[in-house]
Amino acid sequence: MSAGLSFFEFLGERLPDLLLALREHLTLSLIAVLIGSAISLPLGVLLVYSRIGWLNSAVFFLANLLQTIPSLALLAILIPLMGIGARPAVLALLLYSIMPVLRNTYEGFRSVDPHVLEAARGLGYSAAQRLLRVQLPLAVPYIMSGIRLTTVYVISWATLATLVGAGGLGQLIVSGMGVNQPYLIVAGALGAIALALAADLLLGWLESALGRRFGLRGGAAA
Amino acid sequence: MSLARRCGERGTDKGRCGWRWPKTATALKALAGKPRAARTAASACLVLLLTLAGAGCGARPDLRIGAQTFTETKILAEMYKALIEQKTGLDVKVIPDLAASPLVFSALDRGDIDLATLYSGEIFNNHFPLESLTKDRAEVLRQAQEGFDRYYGFDWMDPLGFENTYAFTVRRQVAEARGYRSISDIKPDAASMRFGVDTSWLERASDGYPAFRQEYGISFAKAYPMELSLVYTAVKNEQVDIVLAYSTDARLKAFDLQTLQDDRHFFPPYDASPVMRKEMEALHPGVKEALRPLIGAIDAETMIGLNYQVDIEKKSEREVALAYLKQKGLIPK
Amino acid sequence: MTFADFADYFWRNRGLMGEYFLQHVQMVAAGVGLALLAGVPLGILCMRGRWTARLVLAVTGILQVVPSLAMLVLLMLWMGLGNATVMAGLFLYSLNPIVRNTYVGLQQVSGSLIDAARGVGMSRWQQLWRVRVPLALPYMMTGLRVAAVIAIGVATIAPLVGGDGLGREVYAGINGQNSLRIYSGALPAALLAIVADIGLGALQRRLDPAAARSRRPRAGGGASGKDGADAAVPPVPKAQG
Repeated sequence: MSAGLSFFEFLGERLPDLLLALREHLTLSLIAVLIGSAISLPLGVLLVYSRIGWLNSAVFFLANLLQTIPSLALLAILIPLMGIGARPAVLALLLYSIMPVLRNTYEGFRSVDPHVLEAARGLGYSAAQRLLRVQLPLAVPYIMSGIRLTTVYVISWATLATLVGAGGLGQLIVSGMGVNQPYLIVAGALGAIALALAADLLLGWLESALGRRFGLRGGAAA
Repeated sequence: MSLARRCGERGTDKGRCGWRWPKTATALKALAGKPRAARTAASACLVLLLTLAGAGCGARPDLRIGAQTFTETKILAEMYKALIEQKTGLDVKVIPDLAASPLVFSALDRGDIDLATLYSGEIFNNHFPLESLTKDRAEVLRQAQEGFDRYYGFDWMDPLGFENTYAFTVRRQVAEARGYRSISDIKPDAASMRFGVDTSWLERASDGYPAFRQEYGISFAKAYPMELSLVYTAVKNEQVDIVLAYSTDARLKAFDLQTLQDDRHFFPPYDASPVMRKEMEALHPGVKEALRPLIGAIDAETMIGLNYQVDIEKKSEREVALAYLKQKGLIPK
Repeated sequence: MTFADFADYFWRNRGLMGEYFLQHVQMVAAGVGLALLAGVPLGILCMRGRWTARLVLAVTGILQVVPSLAMLVLLMLWMGLGNATVMAGLFLYSLNPIVRNTYVGLQQVSGSLIDAARGVGMSRWQQLWRVRVPLALPYMMTGLRVAAVIAIGVATIAPLVGGDGLGREVYAGINGQNSLRIYSGALPAALLAIVADIGLGALQRRLDPAAARSRRPRAGGGASGKDGADAAVPPVPKAQG
């Protein structure tokens, strides 16, 4: 009991540090997911319309390859090229975030029934209108579940960013280890787990809300 | 319902058996030969995994040497390993990159590692009650040896022969232009100096920044906390004006930097010694003997030279350690 | 740094690199092997009912989200420095893909096939071992593959908790600002992960009767839901760490 109490006392005492680490962590993850999605969403749409078969294979192969590379290795490879700090960390995280969003966007757009598209054409929708007003809404649940998956994992991976000097919750874990302070380690670890699970819940809720809004069951492709 | 009848129905009665039905018959047919192939493949995988796993778990070394994140502790660990393996035939393993000295102490204490290089000034980090707060070199060493023996059961061996302490450091050019020789010389200019420093020093109790300010009456314009390994480049590239370095770091030499004398003896002495758990010494009495040729044999100049080969010439610690031992005739060529 | 410097460093230290590589593979094999021993029975256990499945999958799923740094350091507080801690971490990470894929693999066996098996007088055990498990093998292989790739990734941070492997060079390179060493560790680790992914993928396709007959479309990364075992795996990112 007393140990638990002193852990909470400790939390209270170091609250500013914890909040700073939390903010750094969130910033890193969000920037990575946002830029990553900004790349992979249009890319996914482009691939749906691409007539070049090998291009699709090549892009998916590359995205898959990127995901296979161990994250510490990827982070470390970027150090000699980009130095230390938040920039290499964001780049590594956004490279990881590409695959799930890309794949789900692609699947989402492809899932639209060709008959529906034919009907839309019959109603006089232009190509752009079909894309934005028919396919996009139908693909939203897929895309959302890709973003959700990515966000959860990026938050988890961002813990390693501290090893390249980008701060975040991992910093608490590593300095806790350095000064032999288990509370600091536990605080950092629990913080990162809680953040990942919270993001999962929140985006899951958003996903099903959007699914209802667009008249589909949520989580179609997760 | 017999299998024969089911198979006979294939393809004719899709409605009742569901769309998967045509697949079923083929799959079931395939099953006749499948289990064996599948089992073979699966067991081959398993056997391979377990063999490798067994090899991984089984090879528990006789002795484990810990090293911190900076180069010299790793070079020394490789030297210990080579000497011990050579003279005792024990299986020795190095565990490098332990985050900081507190982690090394706790790992020694719980027996995760058996041997490490540590520095006498560590006694000021609240490991046990001190008899006196003197910074006399011999006295600090004596307290380390007696204290760690008494409170932790460590054998703190005699020093290797060099000290690695904190050193305030500026660019040589600046030192010459302004006539800086000791820390007190910078006092008039300190208020305009940017100070690059390893994060933990700002928080150290007895020899950290607050105590330093009190002792010298020097406050820098702004402190930039960073990774220890970054301070050398930072001062070289004029991103900061003064840094707190480790006195045996090879980059002091390579980057043409000048350390300032600690004229008020603020920093405690940091004599490097091998430290071993006595329990292990009792178990393997030859180990201490194997390390004896290194005691008192490595002066600061030598250590800086060895660090230089790793940090500047980009050799691995093991290469450098082995080359040194061979050159000294401590292991056969 | 030039490529020649790198090649030179790597060659001079080839013994050390080989040691690290072997240690890396051993740690991964131990972690994943143990997870296979525990995970397959757990996957079978999931067949007992929806709630068992939900519970087991939820617990292993949460383990999967725990940041690897946090997982290893927390385990270190409890188990101390060394490889055992790393292997325990790899074990925990490998559970989810193996359990999930085993379960999905066993589940997808069509009901009519089970009916048929029952029809020829197979007992429940026989149904499991002679029908369900062989048909689930490609799925289990997928689980093994995902687990192996994840484990190779997580194992690179082993040095932080006193473990071995290729991470040694990476970590030493980061600490010493030495890009030669960063690459000496990171490139073989990345290569190992890619080779494991491709190799185990090929093995899985050989085990998959559906894929053996018809070549699957590659684009879409196998997520189209029609093609064999790949569809069983949610598009979970494979590299964890």
